[in-house]
Amino acid sequence: MSTHDFIRRRFPLGLLGVLLSSCTTTTVDEFRQAETGIESHEAIVILGRRQGSTYETREEFVNCVGERVSRGSGAIRVIPEKEFVDSLFPWFEPRTAPLRTSDLQALMEEPLVASKIEEYGVRYIVWVDGQTETTNRSGSISCAVGPGGGGCFGFGSWEDDSNFDARVWDVSSFANVGTISTDATGQSYLPAVVVPIPLIARVEANACSSLATQLQQFVNGD
Amino acid sequence: MFAVTGNRNDVSARSLRALLLVGALGLLSACGASSLVVEGSYPTPAVRKIPLSLGLYLHEDLRNFLYIEYTETGAEEYRVSSGQTHVQLFSNLLPAMFERVQVLASVEDAAAAGVDAVFAPSIEEFQLALPQKTRLDSYEVWVKYNMRLLGPDGAYIADWVLTSYGKTPMEGLLSVEGGINEATVSALRDLASNFTLSFGAVPEVRDWLATKQAVVGNQ
Repeated sequence: MSTHDFIRRRFPLGLLGVLLSSCTTTTVDEFRQAETGIESHEAIVILGRRQGSTYETREEFVNCVGERVSRGSGAIRVIPEKEFVDSLFPWFEPRTAPLRTSDLQALMEEPLVASKIEEYGVRYIVWVDGQTETTNRSGSISCAVGPGGGGCFGFGSWEDDSNFDARVWDVSSFANVGTISTDATGQSYLPAVVVPIPLIARVEANACSSLATQLQQFVNGD
Repeated sequence: MFAVTGNRNDVSARSLRALLLVGALGLLSACGASSLVVEGSYPTPAVRKIPLSLGLYLHEDLRNFLYIEYTETGAEEYRVSSGQTHVQLFSNLLPAMFERVQVLASVEDAAAAGVDAVFAPSIEEFQLALPQKTRLDSYEVWVKYNMRLLGPDGAYIADWVLTSYGKTPMEGLLSVEGGINEATVSALRDLASNFTLSFGAVPEVRDWLATKQAVVGNQ
């Protein structure tokens, strides 16, 4: 069997195998501390925690959760993070944001803060905290360009682990009503035979989707 | 012989010199520092206004503030101008904190302007951390400010130091200039939030505010 035949016959099988294994495992946990529910005129705001020195919760992830929570049959009105934080500047900045529900209670004594939160109709503040880490990178890919053309050959793989918590604060009672945690892991592959073919595990997207679905049900009290 | 062909040779020589000059300029510009004027927008603080009038004096050192980042060999690498964005920040921030704000051309104009005090900030230190040097995955900016509050007669009321920090992750298609811009804007936003919430807590400022408000209360 020539090299060309070998690649033509065996490569699709190998690719299929890799595709099958390039999937994500997601676990969602819910810890409820109080009854929840939301009226049609009320809204929630989802904010990213950014106090840590080692990582910051990505704005894109927070927006992704917000977008999904505001869709579907149990859709909830979500105030965009940037709009809320800018409107309540400087009370929800990384250095000044309330860390405990008692801090929120103290903050609500500021008339301007209380009136803006009431104006938005915010019933719950959801604090999302977490990150996606990439580990176990292995393999190598070499690329070359010559007068007759170019190409790459090799194989690379890595593992992504997304770990996010969502703490739900009830603005009407200044209480933490529950926490939802999601952990998603997946292996990504990058085989290259002339052209690199990225087989990316959608780890963070799955974490976002799972967290949003659970959060929507939690806030609706389902 | 030389004189007969002189015109054509002169033209060729001039063209060659012009080409060499353009090439040299091109090479120099490729090796030169990259200039960046920081641009951003800052939200208006949602705080209660202090019922006093404030003069804002921004010295030209602050209005034209330029930070130069050097390479390891001492060559200029990035020239970061943040003076105008500081002007924009203070012009947006202070009117939300005080009943009346008047921009002053000099501290001596304060008495004629009838302001209760003059605020004169200055930048003492500016630090930039680039991912290619720190091996971290974010652009970081630290700024150290000296904040001064003076009476209308130029007398000292308070003098304190504030630091601000901003960072932005090194992501996707973000250029180095874009990363520096975002980290600087983030540091200025941090300054605005810190300044707004800590202003009344500076001991000398707190005492001055108490005196002024007592005077206003007695009137």
